[in-house]
Amino acid sequence: MGVRAFCLRAGAQVRSWLRAATRRNRLEWDMEAELANHLECMTADLARAGVPPGEAARRARIALGSPALRKEQMRASLGLRWGDEIAADVRYAWRMLVKSPGFSAIAVGSLALGIGANTAIFTVAQHMLLDRLSVPHPEQLRMFYWSEPGDGVVQEMWGFFDNPPGGGEVSTSFSYPVYQQMRRDNRSLADVMAFKPYDRMTITIHGETAPADVEMVSGNYYSVLALRPQLGRGIEEADDRAVGSGPVVTISDRLWTNRFGRSPDVIGKTIFVNAQPMTIIGVNPPGFTGAYSAQGTPDIFLPFSMQPIVAPQNMDPSWPASLLENKPLWWVLVMGRVRPDVPVAKAEAALNVTLNAAVRATMTVKNDNQAPRLMLRDGSRGQNPSLEELEKPVAVLMALAGLVLLLACANLANLLLARAGGRRREMGVRLAMGAGRSRILRQVMTESLLLSVLGGAAGLVLAFAVRNAIPRLLSDAWAPPAFSARFSWPIFAFAAAVSILTGLVFGLAPAWHSTRVQVSSSLKDSGQTVTQRRRGLAGKAIVVVQVALSMLLVVGAGLFVRTLMQLGRAPLGFQSHHLLLFSVDLPETRYPKAASTPLLRQMEEQLGAVPGVKSATLTQVPLIAGNVMNMTFIPQGEQRKPDGNPSVLANHVGMQFFNTFGIPMVAGRAFDTRDTPVSRKVAVVSESVVKKYFAHVNPIGRTFQVGWNHPQTFEIIGVCGDAKYYRVRKEIEPTVYTPYWQESEGVHQATFAVSSGLEAAALLPSLRDTVRRIDPNLLLLDVRTQDEQIAANLRQERIFASLTSGFGVLALVLACVGIYGIMAYSVTQRTSEIGIRMALGARPQSVRRMVLREASWMVVIGVLLGLGAALALARTIAAMLYGLKPWDPATFLLSSALLILAALGASWIPARRAAGVEPMLALRHE
Amino acid sequence: MTDPKSDKKDEVLQGTLDMLILKAVSLGPLHGYGVLLRIQQISGDELVIQQGSLYPALYRLEHQGAIASEWGESENNRRAKYYRLTAPGRKRLEQETDRWNRMAGIIGSILRATT
Repeated sequence: MGVRAFCLRAGAQVRSWLRAATRRNRLEWDMEAELANHLECMTADLARAGVPPGEAARRARIALGSPALRKEQMRASLGLRWGDEIAADVRYAWRMLVKSPGFSAIAVGSLALGIGANTAIFTVAQHMLLDRLSVPHPEQLRMFYWSEPGDGVVQEMWGFFDNPPGGGEVSTSFSYPVYQQMRRDNRSLADVMAFKPYDRMTITIHGETAPADVEMVSGNYYSVLALRPQLGRGIEEADDRAVGSGPVVTISDRLWTNRFGRSPDVIGKTIFVNAQPMTIIGVNPPGFTGAYSAQGTPDIFLPFSMQPIVAPQNMDPSWPASLLENKPLWWVLVMGRVRPDVPVAKAEAALNVTLNAAVRATMTVKNDNQAPRLMLRDGSRGQNPSLEELEKPVAVLMALAGLVLLLACANLANLLLARAGGRRREMGVRLAMGAGRSRILRQVMTESLLLSVLGGAAGLVLAFAVRNAIPRLLSDAWAPPAFSARFSWPIFAFAAAVSILTGLVFGLAPAWHSTRVQVSSSLKDSGQTVTQRRRGLAGKAIVVVQVALSMLLVVGAGLFVRTLMQLGRAPLGFQSHHLLLFSVDLPETRYPKAASTPLLRQMEEQLGAVPGVKSATLTQVPLIAGNVMNMTFIPQGEQRKPDGNPSVLANHVGMQFFNTFGIPMVAGRAFDTRDTPVSRKVAVVSESVVKKYFAHVNPIGRTFQVGWNHPQTFEIIGVCGDAKYYRVRKEIEPTVYTPYWQESEGVHQATFAVSSGLEAAALLPSLRDTVRRIDPNLLLLDVRTQDEQIAANLRQERIFASLTSGFGVLALVLACVGIYGIMAYSVTQRTSEIGIRMALGARPQSVRRMVLREASWMVVIGVLLGLGAALALARTIAAMLYGLKPWDPATFLLSSALLILAALGASWIPARRAAGVEPMLALRHE
Repeated sequence: MTDPKSDKKDEVLQGTLDMLILKAVSLGPLHGYGVLLRIQQISGDELVIQQGSLYPALYRLEHQGAIASEWGESENNRRAKYYRLTAPGRKRLEQETDRWNRMAGIIGSILRATT
């Protein structure tokens, strides 16, 4: 047959098959009519030849044979048989599942839990780790990083930095002058732009004030990202020339929806940002998250040219008022788009030269290796700060969820195996009647696939139902979830792939097992079951693996729960109950430099006088909030060292700080009215400062120096107890407290802590009134209790404890189901053996013991294997634990005991059934 | 007419039914029963076709595009499904006829060999 003929034929076949499959009714009718016609013609011919009519019809029917069989063959000729068989298999499989609802419910349920857990975790993982910026061709974007040795030239930084294991620093922050020079001299990337996720600002729309996340961007931000606003225009070069040249903002889709009702009139409207009027020129497309990360939610975007006007910062008196002219401070992030004709390595080398020149032009570089070295890294996800932080936890969760799925699969395999054993006779009969092995294999596989697909569908529903649970766990209790999990095609594909793979892989062995039936032996009413004990071996091995896996998961859960408990019990050094916190933001546009101090003093005093309030204080950095301030610390009598002095933690606090937080004074006094903005600067130090720097002297009255550029001298007036500062997990470190009203540059972002016996909800309105009376434009931000703040700080630990506990319980249930299944099966198989034993005088107790002994062997082996695996697991997660050793004996002992008890409980029911066997009935059963 | 119990007549050789059907419909469109009659008639009632295998074969040939069918009026004014040869079917008939003749010649000469 030639190629052409072959193609013609194949084409005809496809057409014919499609016609037959899509117009099935028509086909059936045709076949019916055609065969009827045939019978009629033949009957008529026979009648004409003289055969009596009844006999003629009979002979015609005999000659043609069974019409049903003919039609089946005709369908087979059209290639419909394959599909029909699958449909029949599915129908049959469905009937089998419905016939044993308990079996099906356990199989589908355990798969649903396994697949659901995996899908839920995968949803988060894919969102956190894989989402890209929603701009055209994000893969062409490169994020600028630099690294420098420990004594590098960059000393002042505002933004992300990391200390790699080899020492030195890695960061994404550049000074604005360096960025400008790099952009000017860049020849190897298409263009280079800058942006900065700025602090929260206060925006006023239609007279209503609210906090807003801000991204400050360069004039070419929109062109480099190739971002087209859905309305109006983006920020352009003309907006970002001289300071103040572009009083314009673009807004997010979310802000447009929430505050402007998606009205197209929004373009040209004026809003106030930190009390400065700005014109809205564009609305960004939905889904645009800013350039910093694919999970960010900046509300407004404004050009760098507005920084000195909208958000002036006076961090250090020696610095220029504008951050854009600030050379020592590195703070803007830089991103570029690759040119197709320049390899990235070449671009990196060229830009490194540019960076070096820019650094030398703006800073003093003493020796060559002090200068930062440039690195271009993937920018398709922005800087993606969540990646470093979440990669390992998400990987651990994925692995644990994978183990749960494995357990569920083991259960499925075990159930199917037991079932295959129970259906040996059926298979024997089918084989004897001429069914092909492949046909039976296909049918058994259909059953397991049906189970796994049902489980997968249920799992998907489950994952959908809990889709927002994990994002909520990942967010602060007092803020809306940081992101919402979206269900997308990759997730469906993931769930579908997992379920089909499960069905195929774990259905194959039982299916193979069923077809290996010896026709002759399976048809004999099995007299050999008395001695046949090897048969359950595969099932038992699976149960041992299940027990080991559950041991692993239960130990994991135990370790994380104990970690959380240890953290909850860890002494903080201050009392955290009945403390209400809120933050305020005093923009320097309205309160330049120390102008904020009298206002804050007023707030402190009036808040403390609110009825029901015991005391109120300011703390510049809220405690246990993950933020920290530190300073170089030079105690009296020591010299400034060229390679840097050690630093201590520091906080600017209010007058009532120590009694509000219940931190005891050990010596000297706390701050009071004797300390004024103009009196000599004073400080209270923690006991560990004394231990470290003033071990053998009376610290009261001694002085120390802090600060790098403008050293200031403080006198120690008191010593307080040690308290944790920014994380519960961190050990206590030496801490220095100074009064905020002695800060010459003022404090502009602060948190107030109010101690009261009243409920937060009851207290809050009067606090709001008090603040409004002082300044109606001030907002109470992030209202939360100190306990909520601590809980948020332990968020990751809590997620781990709750998720792994869930997994642990799931694993325990699945293992129990497995043990129950295999023991129940084994007892049924051995009914006659048990009958004989009892007829020969065995007592029920000894039979029960025999069954329990059999179960205990599996459990003990499983627990021992699990212990080994759990030890290895614990070693890898040691860094995530707190206050306990990876081989924490309590956890390991408790887990083993729990597992053994649960397993024996699960085998108790079959054991009791075995003990209740009636010898006569069991023997007659044969 | 064909009598299923008769064992004097020859049965169709395995694999040749398709060829015979193609030949039968090459002489003009026929319905299923007509194909049966035509083959028996040409063979002078020497050949028995298992009626059971006729329709699956017709459907297979149509599925492969060698014949096409449509509903029409039969000689006794009844609706019947008529099969006719298509162009690929004609080509196939030619090829199979050639092959059959060649095969028959070769096998005949083998069987005629005397030593």
